[in-house]
Amino acid sequence: MATARESGRLKESGKVLDEATRKRRARKALEALELDNFHEDPHADLVMSKKVPKFQETLDNRSVKRKKGKSAEYYKQRFRKTFPQLVEEDRNYNPNPPNYMSAQAAPSKCPERRFCAVCGFPSTYTCVKCGARYCSIRCSGTHLDTRCLKWTA
Amino acid sequence: MDYDDVFVLDNGACTAKAGFASSDDARIIPNCIMKAKSERRRPFIGDQVEECRDASGLFYILPFQKGYLINWDVQKNIWDYIFSAECLPVNFPETPVVITEPYFNFNSCKEAMTEIFFEEYDCHSLLRINAGDLSSYHYFNTNQNSLCCLLVDVGYSFTHIVPYIKGKKLKNGIRRIDIGGKVLTNHLKEITSYRQLHVMDETYVMNQVKEDACFVSLDFYKDMKIAQKRGKENTIVRDYVLPDYTSIRRGYVKDPAVAPSGEDGDQQTLRLNNERFTVPELLFNPSDVGITQMGIVEAIVDSLSVCPAETHPHLYRNIMLVGGSTLFPGFRDRVCKEVRTLAPCDFDVNVTLAKNPITYSWNGGRLLTQDPEFSSRLVSKDEYEDHGYNICLDRFDV
Repeated sequence: MATARESGRLKESGKVLDEATRKRRARKALEALELDNFHEDPHADLVMSKKVPKFQETLDNRSVKRKKGKSAEYYKQRFRKTFPQLVEEDRNYNPNPPNYMSAQAAPSKCPERRFCAVCGFPSTYTCVKCGARYCSIRCSGTHLDTRCLKWTA
Repeated sequence: MDYDDVFVLDNGACTAKAGFASSDDARIIPNCIMKAKSERRRPFIGDQVEECRDASGLFYILPFQKGYLINWDVQKNIWDYIFSAECLPVNFPETPVVITEPYFNFNSCKEAMTEIFFEEYDCHSLLRINAGDLSSYHYFNTNQNSLCCLLVDVGYSFTHIVPYIKGKKLKNGIRRIDIGGKVLTNHLKEITSYRQLHVMDETYVMNQVKEDACFVSLDFYKDMKIAQKRGKENTIVRDYVLPDYTSIRRGYVKDPAVAPSGEDGDQQTLRLNNERFTVPELLFNPSDVGITQMGIVEAIVDSLSVCPAETHPHLYRNIMLVGGSTLFPGFRDRVCKEVRTLAPCDFDVNVTLAKNPITYSWNGGRLLTQDPEFSSRLVSKDEYEDHGYNICLDRFDV
């Protein structure tokens, strides 16, 4: 009877995350540090209708625009390359160091320092399930309730 | 010389520093397009954001990714604004342009930049150069007796450590740490959102919080102990009043000496404690967030290890800090203190923080335009038309 009433989370709580999942989490956290925005474009739902004439645009204005040359859209198409593509290209173009890859600072020789994932102060304990650090019973409780086995960004 | 003035553009990933060499200082223009929730009619390009009345939830569109120019359509729109009558009108056919690019810039980015300036803007002549080269030029210009300079440029996307020996950069010695202002702001957003208030959408506001409240600790574990104390003994904790864009236009750190009064009731505040110094600490210990790279000081020593031994005393004596993220209080002292402990004791260590670390490189460009050699470093439009892109490969040392 009791088992039927258990929530899914309680059952899950016995699980220990494997190395691959831990690494994936760490990578996701690092990727989040590079993001420009965490929310959607606030103007995404605006529909711009091209058919509607823009009244401020006089004939003069239009000829000036044409003289200005290619549009931003042209350059987007012309030089469309993603960052990983550029790095890959550079690997072939500049195979010998010094190059972009070789300039990256090497791993530190000092051991990692450990901080509580909840409050940020130096920590002594490691969460058995997910490997996060915590410093006190209180932080451990917060950690188990919030981030331990689910990813909340 | 068939020109009167030169336009210098230090095209950074966060801000573009732009202006004519004849002006006193650069104009700092955010190098991005922003969209506000409150203003649905138009996006804000560059410093137009100053007209934005409600900067909460500002959405950013950036031309740069990881420090390199990727989104050319965005950059083109921003440049069009910068060079327009609204901002800094440039008469390109009669004006040489000095523009900066990052170290180890990708080949297709270089080509794209050259093409846009010559073919789209029809500029008179062009010099593409690393921002760090301009900074080092500035350094050697003001410190005529120095033979070497170790430049530490802490930018928005990354940090570079570059040894310059007799004015030339030693490419082997360049070290890049993938931490800059952007990672710091994002990290502050992340820990604040987890610990107290959801601010993940408030990049603009949290960047101001970072600039106003964060500092570099000189004794990290001692400050940690202070931050753990309660009441008056904790000299680190501060309350930060967030802007509400009705009565408070910009957030500020509350003066800890002033007792809270009744009228503060509806202010929204953040309590900043160890966040104040653990955030800039990432520059010195990237492994704190799991980035497996050396911190600034370790990388300085590592960069020096590939330089010829006879240059070491000169490099230790001429460490120069530039870039917006060096503005944290305590930054220079921390670098100085830690380099001192790692450097051989018979060497002098001297660390200088630029008076204006953001425009230091731009001002280097301004000085460079007065150099007698300057015009020989430019590629003119005629030369570009005769020899094509190859002449840029030969002439520009980037």
